[in-house]
Amino acid sequence: MRTISKKLNNEEIEAFGKEVDALREEVMAKVGKEDADHIRSIYKTYRYTEFLGRGLIHFSFEPISFVAGTLLLSISKIINNMELGHNVLHGQYDWMNDPRFNSRTFEWDIVCNAHQWKFYHNYMHHTYTNVLNKDHDYGYNFTRLTEAQKWKPVHLTQPFTNMFLAMNFQWGIGAHGYRVEYLETPKKLRKKKTLKDYKALFFKKIESQILKDYVLFPALALLNFPKVILGNLIANLIRNLWTYAVIFCGHFTENAESFTTDEIVGETKAQWYLRQLKGSSNLDGNNLFYTMTGHLSHQIEHHMFPDMPAKRYREVAPRLKEICAKYGQHYNTGSFLKQFGSVWKRIIAYSFPDHIATKFMGKRKKFLEPTMVISQPSFQVSLSTEEKTVTLT
Amino acid sequence: MKTFPFIYNGPREFIQSLQPKEWADFFLGELNPRFSVTAIKAKVVSVIDETSDAKTLVLKPNWLWKGFQSGQHVPVTVEIGGRRVTRFFSLSSHPKDKYLHITVKRQKGGLVSNFLNQNIKTGDLLELGEASGEFVLTKDVPNELLFLAGGSGITPIHSILKELQAIKYSGKAKLLYFVRSYDDIILKSSLESIAKDANWLTIHYIFSEIPKEGFSSGFLSKEILDQHVSNLKTSSVYVCGPSPMQTKALSLLEGLPVKSELFLLPGQNQTNVKKEGTVDVFLTLSHKTIQVKGERSILEELEEQGIYPQSGCRMGICHTCVCKKQTGEVTDLSNGEKSQLGEENIQICVSRAESNLELEL
Repeated sequence: MRTISKKLNNEEIEAFGKEVDALREEVMAKVGKEDADHIRSIYKTYRYTEFLGRGLIHFSFEPISFVAGTLLLSISKIINNMELGHNVLHGQYDWMNDPRFNSRTFEWDIVCNAHQWKFYHNYMHHTYTNVLNKDHDYGYNFTRLTEAQKWKPVHLTQPFTNMFLAMNFQWGIGAHGYRVEYLETPKKLRKKKTLKDYKALFFKKIESQILKDYVLFPALALLNFPKVILGNLIANLIRNLWTYAVIFCGHFTENAESFTTDEIVGETKAQWYLRQLKGSSNLDGNNLFYTMTGHLSHQIEHHMFPDMPAKRYREVAPRLKEICAKYGQHYNTGSFLKQFGSVWKRIIAYSFPDHIATKFMGKRKKFLEPTMVISQPSFQVSLSTEEKTVTLT
Repeated sequence: MKTFPFIYNGPREFIQSLQPKEWADFFLGELNPRFSVTAIKAKVVSVIDETSDAKTLVLKPNWLWKGFQSGQHVPVTVEIGGRRVTRFFSLSSHPKDKYLHITVKRQKGGLVSNFLNQNIKTGDLLELGEASGEFVLTKDVPNELLFLAGGSGITPIHSILKELQAIKYSGKAKLLYFVRSYDDIILKSSLESIAKDANWLTIHYIFSEIPKEGFSSGFLSKEILDQHVSNLKTSSVYVCGPSPMQTKALSLLEGLPVKSELFLLPGQNQTNVKKEGTVDVFLTLSHKTIQVKGERSILEELEEQGIYPQSGCRMGICHTCVCKKQTGEVTDLSNGEKSQLGEENIQICVSRAESNLELEL
């Protein structure tokens, strides 16, 4: 994969990793009441918006209250999935010892079982970020986003399949649930569960979600049931489109890089940090926007520190950006429209064979110049590490 | 497990997935923070200074509180710096009292005992669990009772004495209260009013650090027992205090019916182990690998690295921290025994890592 970041040697990579680690430690030491209060207020907003939203839809006899209710329900679902669910399931608030915010007990309002999601998101996606054939989030198995993926005629349809995915995004997230955890665990490490058990969990969650949104609540509304079904459909649709947009901006923008399984053999922590940086991209915005994206607007910070309470990314970001500049590393950020545009440019470009795709994508910019020249290694790298590591190119 | 249709096979589970209790808790909590359908929440009605380093908290619990027996303890959860922390405290009041009392003495290095003494004020909210414990009076109350209390170990004994007073106890009871100095006597006025009211109780204060004229001084010993207790051979004994005192008492009273409640101070269950290198602890539910030294309990070593599993008494009584060990070997700190290598449930507060571990956390 082509890169616009400066190629660093091993000493520079390790020095970079050390600075990132120091930043992490400094911020993690501050985690406390402020973060607990934040997640509690998010929880409160989620409960009130759902209560009011559903209430308004149920008792709406004119369009205004119906629209308001549907919007409130969408907001509730977005908060539940993003700032609350996604972050809680990463274990960002496990330290609070509160079962409401514990990654072991939390279950969210989406057709995807939280426990299965944790396996293929927290473990597979976050460990093997943008590694082809390992990271199932990379293109969600059918989107071609780099020359490293072989072109097939079916890729011509990917602009359309992606539009379809956007509208049904929660199904896209849920879809690879039971397969990943079972099939990708080496046979001897597989627990006593069978594929059937995983499937059972998967379908159970889907069924309870459908029952809740399209049977139970409509039934409670008696004759008003068509409106409730419609309201829930629209709310789920809005949530799907929003999460699709935010999440696709996280890793598939123009300058987000992908990696092969060979590249990550014997990777050190510092090299891992660097890969997270190169594979992720941020969105600029205001605090409300950050909260509504569940701070996935700070995808880079999130990938470097997935278990840090997400609101802290706001204070980490400018400092991480400085470190990146110092080492000549591209810090991929931009406005929502710019980033989302570049995602779609890539989706469309790579739906064609390579010679068209590369032309469409255009030439890459040159390497970034580091603001600091690192002449002396800050510490000795032993020979054995050098032998083991494979340089990232 | 049959899946489809799940609603037919597991209607109750489906209703639970709608979180009716969480919704109820949320809205009740919005009305009044003390209200809940899942947790016993108690409001601090007043705070009484006992000594310079001990306070009694007077608590009004919500409707979920089921009561207790004199001598029992209760898990108390407070939020410190955003984190919920649980510790066990004896109830010092009588079960029939209008409010619950817990008396908390500051312990050196004790996170919760210091927090409760320093920060808790009238109107604050604590979360309680259900009362438990075997340190209670037997059904047929013996005719001769001896209570040995050390420091804050007086609190459950105080509750038992109040119970004896309530049932109009007709036997004889003696309390030997070992305490650092006259000023450190906890619940003094209440103890004395019980003694004054009833002729069945005699109290001897014994000062271990600062002697006072007219009182004995020293630590628990055969001489002190002989000096104060004439009917030792026929008494039933209740002991509560720090661990050195308990060990001494148990050896002095061998052969007698003894009930004891051990209150370990922070750090007392650490055995001095020094190890070289580290072992890997893999937390299977959170997909994390942590390096620990294996010198102290797994709980403490995890907390040191910013991971806070559920925990309670931190001395192996309450089983809050039980978790499944899938592989690896641990040493049980309470008896020094090494565990099996395979799958079993361990209490991480009294287990020390011996080899690489896989824990379901």
